Amino acid sequence: MKIFRSHILVCGGTGCHSSGSAEVRKAFAFEVERRGMKDEVQIVETGCNGFCAQGPIVVTYPEGIIYMQVAPEDAAEVVEEHILKGRVVERLLYREPITEEIIPYMNDIPFFGLQELRVLRNRGLIDAERIDEYIAREGYAGAAKALLEMTPEGIIEEVKKSGLRGRGGGGFPTGLKWQFAMRSGGEVKYVLCNADEGDPGAFMDRSVLEADPHAVLEGMIIAAKAIGSHQGYIYCRAEYPLAVHRLNIAINQARGYGLLGDDILGSGFSFDLDVYQGAGAFVCGEETALMASIEGRRGMPRPRPPFPAQQGLWQKPTILNNVETFANIPQIVTRGGEWYAGIGTEGSKGTKVFALTGDVNNIGLVEVPMGTAIGTIIFDIGGGIPKGKRFKAAQLGGPSGGCIPVQHLNTPTDYEAIARVGAIMGSGGLICMDEDACMVDVARFFMDFCQDESCGKCIPCRVGTKRMLDILTAICEGRGKEGDIELLEELAAIIKDSALCGLGQTAPNPVLSTIRYFRHEYEAHIREKRCPASVCSALFKSPCQNTCPVGMDAPAYIALIRANRLDDAYRVLLKTNPFPSICGRVCDHQCQSKCRRGQLDEPIAIKHLKRYITDNASRPTVASVAVTRKERIAVVGGGPAGLTAARELARRGYGVTVFEELPHLGGMLRYGIPEYRLPRGVLEREIDDIRNLGVQFRTNTRVGKAIPFEALRKEYDVLYLAIGAHQSQRLGIPGEELTGVYGGVEFLRQVNLGNGVEVGSRVAVVGGGNSAIDAARSALRKGAQEVMILYRRQRHDMPAQADEVAAAEHEGIKIHLLVAPLEVIGVKDKVVGIRCQRMRLGAFDASGRRRPEPIEGSEFVLDVDMVIAAIGQVPDCSFLPKDIPVTKGNTIEVSNGDGAQTPAKGVFAGGDAVTGPATVIKAIAAGMEAAREIDAAIREHHGEPPFRGSEEEWIDIPQVADEEVQEQPQTLMPELEGGERRGSFAEVELGYTADEARQESCRCLRCDMELS
Amino acid sequence: MSDRITVTIDGRAVEAVKGETILDLATRVGIKIPTLCYHPRLPIVGACRVCVVEVEGARALVASCAFPVEQEGMVIKTDTERVKAARRLVVELLLASGDHNCLLCESNGHCELQDLVYELKIEQPRFSAEPPRHPLDNANPMIYRDLNKCILCGRCVRGCNEVQVNQVIDFGYRGGKTKIITAADRSYGDSNCVFCGECVQLCPVGALVENKARFAGRPWDIKKVPTTCTYCGTGCTIDLNIIDGRVVKITGNESGVTNQGSLCVKGRFGYEFIHHPDRLTTPLIKEDGRFREATWAEALDVTARKLGQIKEKHGPDSIGGLSSARCTNEENYLMQKFMRAVIGTNNIDHCARL
Repeated sequence: MKIFRSHILVCGGTGCHSSGSAEVRKAFAFEVERRGMKDEVQIVETGCNGFCAQGPIVVTYPEGIIYMQVAPEDAAEVVEEHILKGRVVERLLYREPITEEIIPYMNDIPFFGLQELRVLRNRGLIDAERIDEYIAREGYAGAAKALLEMTPEGIIEEVKKSGLRGRGGGGFPTGLKWQFAMRSGGEVKYVLCNADEGDPGAFMDRSVLEADPHAVLEGMIIAAKAIGSHQGYIYCRAEYPLAVHRLNIAINQARGYGLLGDDILGSGFSFDLDVYQGAGAFVCGEETALMASIEGRRGMPRPRPPFPAQQGLWQKPTILNNVETFANIPQIVTRGGEWYAGIGTEGSKGTKVFALTGDVNNIGLVEVPMGTAIGTIIFDIGGGIPKGKRFKAAQLGGPSGGCIPVQHLNTPTDYEAIARVGAIMGSGGLICMDEDACMVDVARFFMDFCQDESCGKCIPCRVGTKRMLDILTAICEGRGKEGDIELLEELAAIIKDSALCGLGQTAPNPVLSTIRYFRHEYEAHIREKRCPASVCSALFKSPCQNTCPVGMDAPAYIALIRANRLDDAYRVLLKTNPFPSICGRVCDHQCQSKCRRGQLDEPIAIKHLKRYITDNASRPTVASVAVTRKERIAVVGGGPAGLTAARELARRGYGVTVFEELPHLGGMLRYGIPEYRLPRGVLEREIDDIRNLGVQFRTNTRVGKAIPFEALRKEYDVLYLAIGAHQSQRLGIPGEELTGVYGGVEFLRQVNLGNGVEVGSRVAVVGGGNSAIDAARSALRKGAQEVMILYRRQRHDMPAQADEVAAAEHEGIKIHLLVAPLEVIGVKDKVVGIRCQRMRLGAFDASGRRRPEPIEGSEFVLDVDMVIAAIGQVPDCSFLPKDIPVTKGNTIEVSNGDGAQTPAKGVFAGGDAVTGPATVIKAIAAGMEAAREIDAAIREHHGEPPFRGSEEEWIDIPQVADEEVQEQPQTLMPELEGGERRGSFAEVELGYTADEARQESCRCLRCDMELS
Repeated sequence: MSDRITVTIDGRAVEAVKGETILDLATRVGIKIPTLCYHPRLPIVGACRVCVVEVEGARALVASCAFPVEQEGMVIKTDTERVKAARRLVVELLLASGDHNCLLCESNGHCELQDLVYELKIEQPRFSAEPPRHPLDNANPMIYRDLNKCILCGRCVRGCNEVQVNQVIDFGYRGGKTKIITAADRSYGDSNCVFCGECVQLCPVGALVENKARFAGRPWDIKKVPTTCTYCGTGCTIDLNIIDGRVVKITGNESGVTNQGSLCVKGRFGYEFIHHPDRLTTPLIKEDGRFREATWAEALDVTARKLGQIKEKHGPDSIGGLSSARCTNEENYLMQKFMRAVIGTNNIDHCARL
């Protein structure tokens, strides 16, 4: 064999092929030849390398450097620089999606490093169309051993010892299946390979067939010897032309070498095989249907028994195994069953190949040891979820499987463990879904697939799946009704129990599993006609409006900015939100995460546009509303929830009094959010509007102290408790009582009250949420020399808004990740340092984040003179009487789910006091809901009809959208320079100019518009 | 090894023949299991799932028509809530999957789906019925096909392919769009169908009915008279379906020894001659070049006399006998016996040889 000094391996798998690898290979050949290196450098087209999303892939050997997304134009540079001069071309290397680290060597990339290649051991290394390359990698050694040295019993014994189970999804022990067929009498028996891979999103078998077809052939030869068969068929879908092509080449080459046909290797044993092309019916993956199809009949399953091991193809004993199962066999025979069983779990041995796809950074084919956690596959090998979105669930086992939600990421790849969480191992399709997936829609999709692919033979599958689809479609289109979920469950249970074959028996699984984990999403669709993920388009106008807790009509006011009708835009804002100028600054704008424009380039800056309106439009005046109702209502707490409820109740004609402990109104808006984010004048203006309505305010009045709770109850007909969450959670470590240790909200409150807070020169803030960032940035402004944030997890796990974190760093705040405090060290009652420990990441917790675990012996001390513990807040419910219960998390209990009614009559509650620390807009939504419920309860009590607001004023919204959209990123918000921020509480974001606002508003795609 | 085993069915220990189906065993010991796609004359497919039962140790319910009794001590339950719920749902689904309005159906009163709905005590349809989506296929005079009433039990397919081996129809399309089709999904009239009517005979509902017999009479008014088909010597047993002394339809008699219910196009559909005004109903004697009606006694006398005269005058070989394929074997036997023994000649032949 000729020896080359370098090999350039160009991936020729289907994925890379579609992204143009053939041209890349030609370009490399041209460049190598042009430089006269044809005898030094060999170019090889390999089967699928696995890293399909980054294709075309080029790997160079002997170094093992991997280049991604290589274009034909890159060939000259790679050959010139890398091959000729020995310099790696950095721009084509892999970049880790989260850390952005550049990794040149293939095996250093977690995607490859964490895999264990057995089935795929030759992928990306050999030319699948050359049998010699397979043989050079120990190919056909297993077949030779089986044919020349082993008895059928011996082969079966070895396969049984390996613990190999059917990789098509059923998981039946392969050795046992072969034993049944071996013991069946008769001269004629068949070995069949199931290559009818049909699950949406699955491409394991395809890649094996394309990259290493001889491994399958060899496995089948060994199986034939074991059961005494002389003819085999590979049933491969016709939609896999490359696989069929390579299989036929492989079969002909094997025949040519005497590895198929009569008297193989002089063993006296004869076996031959043919490829049978399936016509694309999903049901033909079912074994009896597959056999019917090979027999030339319509692919429909038949009842078992008799099982194929007794009566299979043409009534003769037959075994049918999946591609991956066969591809495992040669190594089991060569290296022994015990070697194979050396990895895996108790009941699932060896490795499993997964087609990793969907919302995951590293889409591709991966092979992992059995027992690897699903989370490891998705986050370590798969590189996590793109665009910083949250992981929601992974569909395992395709349309026959189920979903694995975030709380089960630790589930190991083990047949039984996966079944326990309601999914199946399946053939290996692993589809990741992020927060933007609607699970009802996912169930509908898979049910649509199953009912379409049902063979039509048995009624439960043919009609039952159709009925389930009808119900799911109705739910997705807003026609769902009470009882639908239960009917789906009933249909599912009976279809599973009574359908004829595996297709029907498993078709309801996606529905059952999504109901099991996401029942609330079904209920939202049915009861509220709401699709929380903004997928089911019949249920909302635009995704941004659908996502907003108060249903703000963002496209409408954006259209009005474009039309330069700012006063009208302001009126749109005030329809659903009493605090638009506040929200234009501090709302977490979840709406933007669902913005359709974000799928093109970047989402619309909805928040900035909202602020632009409130900064520039003339403010509508608010007239007082006469008190027309006799019921008197007390609101406890002057934060966003309390103020919103007061405003809405006053507008309905109630006399409302707000009680506030602190000197000024605003709650967390004033005492939590620092002034550089929310100037106080803006806050005052919007509170004044509520005062002008006629709402009474009593500040400096703590209920339970200044006025007894029972007195309040006696004096008012209804109480609304919106007391927020103003108590910091304690760290629970020694030294917390020292002077210089603050809770996050307490510190912010003191700063915002204007009380002189003595800020140290070196400040440690513990926590990763927004209040930790606010405390850190405030400390810096209060004169701290150095501020650091200690967080026990990773950056992308921080609950704080990413732009806030970035702003903090911009101002010079250091963030120490994977660090947890152990003790605050004091000298004479004063803080002098904080002893910390480094953490590493362990298993996944219920939120889908890796749980931090302490690293022994990693303790260290940071010299600080102030510690702010901002790790969470709880409400102070100490003043409540016994009939108003609190939960374990010390929040006020409500008895109607997301509502506001407490178990005590006439007492309602909402906002952070009920939910725990949440966002401003959620508190506003809670206030809206409380007002609606309180009013409805009073009216119901009096037998009055429900409240109907005065006729809404009509605002004409321009229906204008650009026909052609060009890529253009978000318009940047002008900001105060970093240096100007230190020591100043001036607002950091300066607001859009008119031109900027108009430019940004024109980016809106107007997905709220319906084209008729 | 004995092929007799003891199993438990609905709490009763019974002796079973190893390998027989649960359905056969249950029927033998007097336990009724409802069926739909099952037909004793047809290969078993286990498709409709109406006959499901519980077998201890089995993961899911099994079709009793297809599941063999093989294990000693096997425990079978045919009447549990689980079984009944499955059967009921299957029938409910069928009921809603097509146009099953019994008032407008020719098979009302002679419909296995209707019987099942009653038997399983289904009171309210829970699923709304789908609107009809198949055009009627009634352009041929023999078979009226309304696929909106079809429940896809596949009995017609098996009858056509496995019993008659005509291979005219099969399942077509997939999933909810599945329907029974002829080649290239044409109408019966445009297909290579030979109209033996086996499919009509086997259809459990009103999807395939005899075209000419529509509106001719209700099943409960029909009197069935078994007789032998007159078309050929095969001797198929047929049932004349009679109302008020008139034959309105012919069906195959399932207990007929030779045909077991199968018929050919003539036997099944060619019965209009029975009540045709031109049909000869009495013997005719030709006198002076013209026929006149006669009694059987008179006619037989004339025939016997004339045959005797010819034989006497010209010898027995001057007479030849030609018998008909429309006669039974027994009649043909008698005819040749008569020719040989009474007339005394070997001149006997049969129209089928012409």
